[in-house]
Amino acid sequence: MSGHDSKYFSTTKKGEIPELKEELNSQYKDKKKDAVKKVIAAMTVGKDVSSLFTDVVNCMQTENLELKKLVYLYLINYAKSQPDLAILAVNTFVKDSQDPNPLIRALAVRTMGCIRVDKITEYLCDPLQRCLKDDDPYVRKTAAICVAKLYDINAELVEDRGFLDTLKDLISDNNPMVVANAVAALAEIQENSTRPIFEITSHTLTKLLTALNECTEWGQVFILDALSRYKAADAREAENIVERVTPRLQHANCAVVLSAVKMILQQMELITSTDVVRNLCKKMAPPLVTLLSAEPEIQYVALRNINLIVQKRPTILAHEIKVFFCKYNDPIYVKMEKLEIMIKLASDRNIDQVLLEFKEYATEVDVDFVRKAVRAIGRCAIKLERAAERCISVLLELIKIKVNYVVQEAIIVIKDIFRRYPNTYESIIATLCESLDTLDEPEAKASMIWIIGEYAERIDNADELLESFLESFPEEPALVQLQLLTATVKLFLKKPTEGPQQMIQVVLNNATVETDNPDLRDRAYIYWRLLSTDPEAAKDVVLAEKPVISDDSNNLDPSLLDELLANIATLSSVYHKPPEAFVSRVKSATSRSDEDDYPEGGETAYSESPSHGINNAHTASHAAPKQPAPAPAPPAPAAPVPDLLGDLMGMDNALVPVDQPSTTSGPPLPVLLPASTGQGLQISGQLLRRDGQIFYGLMFENNSQTALDGFMIQFNKNTFGLASAGPLQVAQVPPGGAARTLLPMVMYQNLSQGPPGTLLQVAVKNNQQPVWYFNDKFSLHVFFSEDGRMERTSFLETWKSIPDTNEIAKDLTSAIIQSIDSTIENLAASNVFFVAKRRNANKEVLYLTCKGPKAVPFLIELTAAIGVPGVKCAVKTPSPELAPLFFEAMESLLK
Amino acid sequence: MISQFFVLSQRGDNIVFRDYRGEVQKGSAEIFFRKVKFWKGEEADEEAPPVFNVDGVNYIHVKVAGLLFVATTRVNVSPSFVLELLQRIARIIKDYLGVLNEDSLRKNFVLVYELLDEVIDFGYPQTTSTEVLKSYIFNEPYVVDSGRLPPLGPAAMFMQSTKRMPGTAVTKSVVANEPGGRKREEIFVDIIEKISVTFSSSGYILTSEIDGTIQMKSYLTGNPEIRLALNEDLSIGKSGTSAYDYRSSSGGGTVLLDDCNFHESVHLDSFDIDRTLSLVPPDGEFSVMNYRMTQEFKPPFRINALIEEAGAYKAEVILKVHAEFSPTVTANTISVQMPVPSYTTRVSFELEAGAVGQTTDFKEANRRLEWCLKKIVGGSEHTLRAKLTFTQEAHGNITREAGPVSMNFTIPMYNASKLQVKYLQIAKKSQSYNPYRWVRYVTQSNSYVARL
Repeated sequence: MSGHDSKYFSTTKKGEIPELKEELNSQYKDKKKDAVKKVIAAMTVGKDVSSLFTDVVNCMQTENLELKKLVYLYLINYAKSQPDLAILAVNTFVKDSQDPNPLIRALAVRTMGCIRVDKITEYLCDPLQRCLKDDDPYVRKTAAICVAKLYDINAELVEDRGFLDTLKDLISDNNPMVVANAVAALAEIQENSTRPIFEITSHTLTKLLTALNECTEWGQVFILDALSRYKAADAREAENIVERVTPRLQHANCAVVLSAVKMILQQMELITSTDVVRNLCKKMAPPLVTLLSAEPEIQYVALRNINLIVQKRPTILAHEIKVFFCKYNDPIYVKMEKLEIMIKLASDRNIDQVLLEFKEYATEVDVDFVRKAVRAIGRCAIKLERAAERCISVLLELIKIKVNYVVQEAIIVIKDIFRRYPNTYESIIATLCESLDTLDEPEAKASMIWIIGEYAERIDNADELLESFLESFPEEPALVQLQLLTATVKLFLKKPTEGPQQMIQVVLNNATVETDNPDLRDRAYIYWRLLSTDPEAAKDVVLAEKPVISDDSNNLDPSLLDELLANIATLSSVYHKPPEAFVSRVKSATSRSDEDDYPEGGETAYSESPSHGINNAHTASHAAPKQPAPAPAPPAPAAPVPDLLGDLMGMDNALVPVDQPSTTSGPPLPVLLPASTGQGLQISGQLLRRDGQIFYGLMFENNSQTALDGFMIQFNKNTFGLASAGPLQVAQVPPGGAARTLLPMVMYQNLSQGPPGTLLQVAVKNNQQPVWYFNDKFSLHVFFSEDGRMERTSFLETWKSIPDTNEIAKDLTSAIIQSIDSTIENLAASNVFFVAKRRNANKEVLYLTCKGPKAVPFLIELTAAIGVPGVKCAVKTPSPELAPLFFEAMESLLK
Repeated sequence: MISQFFVLSQRGDNIVFRDYRGEVQKGSAEIFFRKVKFWKGEEADEEAPPVFNVDGVNYIHVKVAGLLFVATTRVNVSPSFVLELLQRIARIIKDYLGVLNEDSLRKNFVLVYELLDEVIDFGYPQTTSTEVLKSYIFNEPYVVDSGRLPPLGPAAMFMQSTKRMPGTAVTKSVVANEPGGRKREEIFVDIIEKISVTFSSSGYILTSEIDGTIQMKSYLTGNPEIRLALNEDLSIGKSGTSAYDYRSSSGGGTVLLDDCNFHESVHLDSFDIDRTLSLVPPDGEFSVMNYRMTQEFKPPFRINALIEEAGAYKAEVILKVHAEFSPTVTANTISVQMPVPSYTTRVSFELEAGAVGQTTDFKEANRRLEWCLKKIVGGSEHTLRAKLTFTQEAHGNITREAGPVSMNFTIPMYNASKLQVKYLQIAKKSQSYNPYRWVRYVTQSNSYVARL
């Protein structure tokens, strides 16, 4: 080849596109090839060369592989925007998939799988079927990955055509590349499916462990990661697995090593022999340390993982603390992680060495690192009682250098040391006070003030010191104000002399009248009241002995730690977050919806309602990179917001239309026992849901001549086992009077058998009348819980995971949708949450979800014409027996 | 699995961009670059960690030869897997192009895209062996003129001084043919050791460590089998008790490695018996063996640093470097740095009499003395004196505010660990077959620090 590729970027006078068109249709092969290269060059710099689609596709029929590859590259890029033209290429693809040259066969299948156009997918199945059984391993391994591609586009097609079984057969292929790709494809498919597709049995386990030795490094990682889902039956099997995996620890590829470590750690949980465990720990240490000789990027990943490992099994690296000492040329992100691990591994045995290091770090240039080093010294003091004194003397040495941020950081940790070892190291307070006027960071100031207040009786001029801070009280940040308030109160309680007395006046005045910070105000009022009513009690409260702290600032919660350890060698173990906190795999079908305009009524073209779209508004124009939704999503703001005051007053507006003014008497409740039946007593009531809790809203109206008291209530067995959570709280009701109450209810107390129903049989008695029995029919929606919101992706997945036989539809003849937005709002108020909508012909289709009793999900599809009575409601749920009740509820909600 | 792969220049220009799964938005490269550039806000100059998440997209990157190699993904992948893959892609491209830089990538973009399509399919790595790739790749590299370009990679250091090495060899493509037509039959084996030593203020060694690698780059046709013999008394595993199934031998003078690992093409059948490795080297550059050693070794340099107050606003610094290695060996491109107190305003240097090839500088921005020496012959000693002038009085603990002294150097034909390639045997194809063999040693500083 003469010249280089950059010449293809040059532009011409004539106008690029026509010239390229001409060249693409040239009869000379070389000219053609050069032209395609120019097209690709234009494509890679973002120019739109899609208008050349036909001309480029015409170059596809060539024996020249170099040219063919270029055309395919072009096709992958533009097929989606030109789906109709892409069909032109199908014939050549199908032909190529039967070419005698295996490279061409593989290339055809690989490329077809990358073209995400439905029409092409149909034609892909037959070539794929053939290629999965091809003689050439290069073709088979390409076909294996292609199954995963196809699954991503059309999962049903893959299952219908039996590709999954063929794929499973490939696990036993004699070529390790094929095995590796088959494993990778199956693992991905499993991850996106709720059905068990790729289950590791002890049989597959053996097969894969054997393949492990033959595979490329990447294949080894696929296999190890797939196997890490396997739960060994007993300690012996676990030991066997570990034995097979241990040699991987010596692999030059760090990913293989980490995946092997993950596998071993998991099996170790089952191994009972302490000798074996000890031996394994010993074997894992050198490879883990060796990871720290790799590139800094890998070191970072290794350190984040080691951080987790040492929390669970500190012995593995207990003797290796030296390797975590920072090198001066380590990137800052590596240094920070090393510090964290050094603290975790610090012990009485090595603390002197560690302190020497920390002291060095504390004089380095990088401010963040220096601060962390100072804090590390403090944390070691808290962690190791016997070393505390040495740590403190190092801190004092650092304070003497008088570097401002070092001093402030040191004071912050010394406050914690005082909490950990009360009344032990006060002798250093004098030294701390020397730096008083240099403090300008809120946390350091607050810490110093806390120390002064806590030890006011031992600091001769404590009042002067505090007074110096008081002058600027109004300007201080809240953190400092709160500490000043408390410290002044402490001072006053310890030295109730004139000075402090005046100070306390000033502070309390400042903190109550002059502030608009409610925390500060409330605390000040409490102190004030305590001091004015009972100073002794104030002493007991304010000067009470504090619980001793321990250093757990960077230790993870054990359950989280276990989850993260199960995810060693993944991003999860680097972020120290469970996978669901950051993984938001968008199902490809929906993610692409916005790139192309889907025709109206397209099955997958969901859009989001304005109220729900706020979180994602900024990404809506992209391929929907959804953030994990902030868990429990707050109800739509437009819904009738529960009124705090109203709650306190025991009134209820959850079911009232927003425009109805709520009065103290509350909304009318359906009458259950008319006065005519109840000898003048009228009982109205309804089940209500409020803040996730079910109540029975009841009203007793006494139209009789005598006062009624001693009300009691009882419920008969019912489908959902509803019963009162406590006694009925109704005081005497005078003649002509009425009483309202909200009776908290519990579920699953007295369950009845038989078909599900929403009938509640209630008995009420009082001291004056016979027992009254009445029936109440409630609506299922009182059980719909506030956390029923669902992401589109999980909606789709859940929909798929429920068998079609569980889908039930009904025409709700009396229901009506007057306006989409208000319907969505109203439903959200009853915890039926909007997921997506689309138009189909002249009808609106809404997708909603809610969570019923026992967290059973209901996936709802409503089809209706706006303003026309009659709504078709289809529901898919794992509990189809509840469907009739559900329809009743929906009908009542949609009136 | 990775979703996209892209290469950005230092300025953030998109040089290569390949989307494998279409699940991450197109603007990801820009989002990534902005995040990396302003990791801690516009002001702070803090390096971003190699793995982070923005809006549900995970960005994983490495820096190679001044370029950013980046992968994005939405799933919970193994980050070390992706990092290794990125490193490997960089290496393959370098194998093909000879040199790796913005220019060579731009001039070979068609080849690079072809490579990327074979290396990764649907986000899954397929093969990262230059050898295997050769049978699937049809574009030929356009080799940029390496003469004008700064050399890259660990082997580049050989080109600076030693006359024995053919300079262009390491920057030539493993697949491209020489201008003359036939390829030269040769193989390079480099033993590269990076050493880290921390001296205490009194000159004791606090920590010392060697990270070594045996790097191989073969230009042999027909891929003959190769045998590499290492020191027979080599032992692995700390304190003589082997953590592995290797025979352990303890005793003085032996080379004792803490840990080592091998390239997957290496056969270890006879390693236990006579410490020989046999392999059929694939094309391209790769590490035959990586090793780590914390056994005591003699550091190549002793550093003496002294800082003393000389009056209220003055101090004097004396830096002494003594080369402990044999006079037949010469270290090159040495630099010594020492941070000085922040209130230093002026420094006057005094080099030893007759000093050649030495420069000094006071970097005010990061308040550091820098002393560069072109070369240091084994056994020699060099001294630098500097007078510091302050704007304020020292607090009486000037040693706390200055230092530590750090040193960078390269010493060709020297290795601290004493690990050696005793012989390099190439299976003979014919009587006349006698390819060039280059076995080269080099020691580089990693973190070489003396505290005050």
